[in-house]
Amino acid sequence: MGLVLILNFKLDNLIIKMSKIEAIYKEIEKIVGTNYITDKDFMKAAYSRNVDPAFPDRWPDIIVRPENTQEISEIMKAANKYKIPMVPRGGGADLVGGAAIQGGILLDLTRMNKIIEINEHDFYCEVECGVTWGALLSNLYEKGLTTGVLGPGSGYSATIGGALSNSTAGFGSTKYGLVPDICLGVEVVLPNPQGTIIRTGAAANKFAKPFCRYGVAPDFTGLFMGDVGVMGIKTKAFLRLYPNSPYKIQKNYILNKNDYKIVYKLMYTLQKEVREGLHDLYINPRVVIQLLASQAERKPPKRAKISGPVFMFILEAFDEKILDIYVDKVHKIMIKDNSARIFEWQEIDLNEMLAKNWKLNFKFPYSYFNKFVALAPPKISCTTCHKIPISVIDDKKKLNNLFDNEHRGEFPSQSFSLFARSIHLLPNGHCVFAGGFNAENADDQRQVAMNIWHKKLRSQVKYGGVHYWLGEAISQSIVEADAYTPEFLQFFKDLKKVLDPNFLLSPNKFHMYSYDNNISRYIVKDEN
Amino acid sequence: MIITEFNPKEKYKYLNKLGDALLQCIACGDCREATDYTANPQKWGVCVARDHTSGFEPYFGRGKMQIIRSLWQGKLELSKDMAEVIFQCPTCNACAEACAYEMDNALFYEALRAELVDAGCGLEAHIPMNQAMVELFNPYQRDNKQKNNWLKNLDFKVKNASTEQAEVLYFVGCTAALTPEIQKVAINTAKVLHKLGVDFSVFGEHEVCCGSVAMRTGNRHAFNSVAIKNYELFKKSGVKTIITSCAGCYRTLKVDYTDFLEELGIQVLHSIEFIKTILKDKNVSLKNLGITVTYHDPCHTGRNAGVNPLYEEPREFLSKIANLNEMKTIKENAKCCGAGGGLKKGFPDLALEIAKSRVKEAEDTGAEYLVSICPFCFRNLNDAIKAFNSDIKMIDLLELLDLALS
Repeated sequence: MGLVLILNFKLDNLIIKMSKIEAIYKEIEKIVGTNYITDKDFMKAAYSRNVDPAFPDRWPDIIVRPENTQEISEIMKAANKYKIPMVPRGGGADLVGGAAIQGGILLDLTRMNKIIEINEHDFYCEVECGVTWGALLSNLYEKGLTTGVLGPGSGYSATIGGALSNSTAGFGSTKYGLVPDICLGVEVVLPNPQGTIIRTGAAANKFAKPFCRYGVAPDFTGLFMGDVGVMGIKTKAFLRLYPNSPYKIQKNYILNKNDYKIVYKLMYTLQKEVREGLHDLYINPRVVIQLLASQAERKPPKRAKISGPVFMFILEAFDEKILDIYVDKVHKIMIKDNSARIFEWQEIDLNEMLAKNWKLNFKFPYSYFNKFVALAPPKISCTTCHKIPISVIDDKKKLNNLFDNEHRGEFPSQSFSLFARSIHLLPNGHCVFAGGFNAENADDQRQVAMNIWHKKLRSQVKYGGVHYWLGEAISQSIVEADAYTPEFLQFFKDLKKVLDPNFLLSPNKFHMYSYDNNISRYIVKDEN
Repeated sequence: MIITEFNPKEKYKYLNKLGDALLQCIACGDCREATDYTANPQKWGVCVARDHTSGFEPYFGRGKMQIIRSLWQGKLELSKDMAEVIFQCPTCNACAEACAYEMDNALFYEALRAELVDAGCGLEAHIPMNQAMVELFNPYQRDNKQKNNWLKNLDFKVKNASTEQAEVLYFVGCTAALTPEIQKVAINTAKVLHKLGVDFSVFGEHEVCCGSVAMRTGNRHAFNSVAIKNYELFKKSGVKTIITSCAGCYRTLKVDYTDFLEELGIQVLHSIEFIKTILKDKNVSLKNLGITVTYHDPCHTGRNAGVNPLYEEPREFLSKIANLNEMKTIKENAKCCGAGGGLKKGFPDLALEIAKSRVKEAEDTGAEYLVSICPFCFRNLNDAIKAFNSDIKMIDLLELLDLALS
């Protein structure tokens, strides 16, 4: 009897849900037109994943491709009317379960891809958030301009909105910082029943052009940076521009010892003495160089001596003589005390380019991580990218390795874990450990991978690591690690409730499933 | 009740042939647009189908690959609705060019289409075309005897490949042989060969369609039917070199017929490749025609042509006989004309819209002539020129070569 009641209750709920979905479908169809909404199964399958095969497939009920901010506002009103959850999706190049939803509405924002203004005189631009980094930078490069940071490693596909929502680092970040650092403001549709549209930064002053971020009001732009789509739907962004320096050069050095205390000292000195010249400093650990050497397409006849990590520099200047000075300074710093020697990638693979022939084209930053995302695709790739102060590099590397050793049996079979595929220097004294592990792309490995992934993330959170593209996996792991104080979590919830009173936007992130649920129940206790 | 375990290898025989690569796509999405000002040649977008449709994921590579994965994992069934989208693609393979993992996407799409056709979900519009291919040996539903018509425009005799031996076989292709306004591709090819003293033959009314459209539209039965007939024809004729002025035939003979042409020791060349060699051997010079042209790269002589795509050969000719103004997207990053993959037959409006974009790109160069080396590109681009009432004129490279040899 009890079972029948429960089944009937579930069936009733399902019928109510289905009728709500049918009703909202019709309303949204009127807003965007028949061509830009779908609920077909094969369409849902096509949107069931991003670059995140550690997650199970998730099929939304409805997929919509809105054309403009006003349409999103109207969709938001309908979603509030029927209480249907929603997730925004940019390029879908996400690794952490950020832009998929089981049931509800998935908003594909790539139709909103207009570059509205490139202001060459005042060095800013206004774009719709669905424009890709490749498209924006192509249009900027034509005019001798750049955004400085070139967006994520998936920049051919990734959108501006996605990079802002994930506080992404990318090539150029050593000098120009993270993507939010170049953001002067955003236009956002709030997830409230009114579908309110606001503009932040200078654009909050309706008489002002969007040329700066601070001053008009509190920095509400920041509310939507790194929010993984839980606070609002960014529809437009105003971005800082820079003249594109004509002189860029690549230089590589390999350390003579595999010593991360030396790595720190060099990073510190380089930041202190070369700073402006450093467009990028990427450090590939020795194990990565060994791996790349083993996978070389054309191996050199003589096996390379891989003594330590490789420092890959991209140096830039607006004057050739100044670039020469930077090159000279870097060289002196690197070879001092016999710390390092000049390195060429051809030492491990004859198909690689000599540094003197290198040019910064988009393929370089946008394919740099491909060989690491899935060492031999198809694989599950569980990223653990996070930031740490440079002074603790050696300690944190050891802690990561210790974790991997202690939990060796918990990783999926044949998984390969790296504390960092590369270490990327950021402004002032911190860096990214761009690491993770992989697994076979198979259903039976997904849960195993997910468990150890969360566990590893928690360990990094607990040693003070600061993750950025949080999505679902990482935002939940931070909660599980008990990193947020109750006061912070309440503040976060209160803020979200003001913007999203019906709790519709991007559920599941930060283990938030409603305003009533007690997030602290997801804290994993008794874990060192 | 008998419960049978889902076995994708048994259920999807065409996809199964692609092996582990079925799950190779990591879904990065570079196949969506991958714009790159710094690339050489520059890349201004990727997928023309996505650009001219509602643009949901299945309209470009990543979505198709996710559908294939979902089918393979038993999470999805083939359907007519799915086919309606999967066939809205010219299989131009620009997505493969953008793929970071060097996948040959069109192979997967063709296999998926074959699964759809076998499951009874193929496009209705493609059925008569493929049926005619089997029964009449051409997809245009015409009497194959009409393939002799263009020969009447020549003032010299061409050898009949069925009965006479020749140095090379000119495989005309159905479009050039049977479309009155495009017959000049065949006529000019023959005239150029004749002027250069080449000993060549044609099958005329006995020429059997290469099967390109059947392969692209997933009808493996029709493809195999004509492929076997061609095998027999080629074997019987004893031909060792086949040339063609049709990009679709070129790709099909060169790539899809590889195995049996290798067995017969036959090499396949596009006519411009062959003519280039002859001109060099005979030290023949070409006249500059004093016209301004731009060049459209057919997908089947470029991205889909396997090894040694024909990007430079047409440009070498055009640089000698005309002023060549390049379009914004060229060579491996050229935008497709929209005709291929059964798109013109299945979705003529979409094919025309894609062609209009390409014609616009051509107009922006300021050229008087839009040149190509594919009768099917010729047809679709010319339709767009007419629809626009554009001043630019469509012309096949062989026609220019004939004039330059005069």
